[in-house]
Amino acid sequence: MKERRTIGDIFWRLMLFLWALGIILPMIWVLYESLKTNREFYKDIWALPEQTQWNNYAKAWNYLGLGKGMLNTVYYVGCSLFFGISFTALCAYALTRLQWKGKRLAWNLLMLSLLLPGINAIVPQYVIARSLHLTGKLSGLIFLNSAVLDIFSLMVVSGFMQTIPTELEESAFMDGASLFQVFRLIIVPLSMPGIVTISIFRFLALYNDFLGPYIYLSDKPEKYTIGVSMFMANQQMIYKSDWVSLFAGVIIAMIPTIIIYLIFQKTVTQGATLGAIKG
Amino acid sequence: MDKNNTLTTSVEDTKVPWYKNSQAQKWIFLAVVLGPAFACYFAFSLYPNILTAYYSFFRWDGVGPKIFIGLRNYEKMITDPFLYKALLNNLILASACPLLVIMISVILAYLLVTRRYKEAGFYKVLFFLPNVLSSVVVALLWTFIYDGQWGLLNKVLELIGIDMGGFYWLGSEKTALLAIIPLYVWSGVGFYVIVFMNAINSIPASLYESAILEGAGNMQRLFKITLPLISGVIRVGIIFMVLGSFKGFETILIMTNGGPYSSTNVIGLYMFNFAFSSTEIGGFNQHDFGYASTIGMFLFVVLVGANLIVNKLFKHEAVEY
Repeated sequence: MKERRTIGDIFWRLMLFLWALGIILPMIWVLYESLKTNREFYKDIWALPEQTQWNNYAKAWNYLGLGKGMLNTVYYVGCSLFFGISFTALCAYALTRLQWKGKRLAWNLLMLSLLLPGINAIVPQYVIARSLHLTGKLSGLIFLNSAVLDIFSLMVVSGFMQTIPTELEESAFMDGASLFQVFRLIIVPLSMPGIVTISIFRFLALYNDFLGPYIYLSDKPEKYTIGVSMFMANQQMIYKSDWVSLFAGVIIAMIPTIIIYLIFQKTVTQGATLGAIKG
Repeated sequence: MDKNNTLTTSVEDTKVPWYKNSQAQKWIFLAVVLGPAFACYFAFSLYPNILTAYYSFFRWDGVGPKIFIGLRNYEKMITDPFLYKALLNNLILASACPLLVIMISVILAYLLVTRRYKEAGFYKVLFFLPNVLSSVVVALLWTFIYDGQWGLLNKVLELIGIDMGGFYWLGSEKTALLAIIPLYVWSGVGFYVIVFMNAINSIPASLYESAILEGAGNMQRLFKITLPLISGVIRVGIIFMVLGSFKGFETILIMTNGGPYSSTNVIGLYMFNFAFSSTEIGGFNQHDFGYASTIGMFLFVVLVGANLIVNKLFKHEAVEY
């Protein structure tokens, strides 16, 4: 289905180019300004910096709380991912491969949460978490993010597990394998594509989450994650106009997600539509 | 884990058929895994929804004793001008953003799929990029763009000869809400480009081929073939976005926190600020968990209503090909 290129194509290509420019320009601009001094930046945002100010990045890291924030984020995201994904895989196994009475009911109960918006209940959620002493600490946040199932992840992993042939499991049981061994040695390796997909999405969701850490860590600045640190740094700018350092901070905060996206670009764009179907 | 191992050894020792003991293993596994899972699911997903209704009958600052006040929170709610302002803002965002996002992303997806420019693959990756950025990053990027003194928008306008005189877009009641819309469009389009590209790709090529043979132009093919065949996906996308615009308030919290003078306030943010904000809003005392829950109930009703209305407006039409 080859088509002739017409004059209209020039217009359409220009449209695409302009949208691409609109996406990338704000980021390039912030990157560009982050390499200047505040004086240069105030004087003329277009002019080239006399000297590239890499120490803006050091300032953002050390004085705007990004270093501490990044460290906290690595800990919180790492642990939440490990425990959360393991737990999700275990639950998916119990909810797909094992035969038991009440499985349907269990699924229906879980699906109920897709109908509930969730956001309308953030106040009681906070109250419950506080009464269980889960607020004001990263371990509490990790617990909430691992133990409370993410239904989307559960559905994706379950989808993969359902396609594994039962013969594999049965013969393993015949050979005397325990249930957990079957899970670890057969089910997990065979549903790896699904586990990788949800790990990437959970990483992005956890790293990018602002509201959760902001509510649950509210009065503990030393526990802030990168997102909350950035927000607080922005609030400080009213008193100290060190914008170039804040720009450097925004770039630092963007880097991990952009790296993950570029590496797993295919999985991310394919997985994105998995989520759309459930909508 | 240990329990399972001991069970397996006992299988070998007593030579019981494997399925008998596997029953025991199964129930232990179910109890150990799904027990906590459902306990947490009830405690943090289902139960809070019920508690929202319960709290809405109390005056409570979140720390001291709860005082039962009957329907007083609801009385306050129906006469609360700030809530109606927030609802209006929500309605503006919920009608403008999905419309713009759908229009732009359908056009971009159609171009990327059917025109097959060599840069299409690169654009697909680039367009999606804002979707992987955090709301803090996106909100700050756009706060910088709209800054009066050195913002990118004013500086670009200056280049083409329009002097805004240091106008701060987010600082004026008139422009602040409108300035939020481009941000949502900017960060939302990439996802729907991918969704629509997949939808368009699944349309059989033979349909287009026969249309070309019969002399149908590009526009005719878009409106007569592509759009009708992806209307189901568009519908789901609209529902998704309308509900999302009622639920989401992170970006607004970071950019303007509802200001100036409630001009960008939305229901979710209003609820959030009543419970968690340390600053006074709208002249009411802060940390009112009871009233925040009442607004949460209102938000729930609005979400259910929005879902029904969108479903009615965009009736599902099954298309066969």
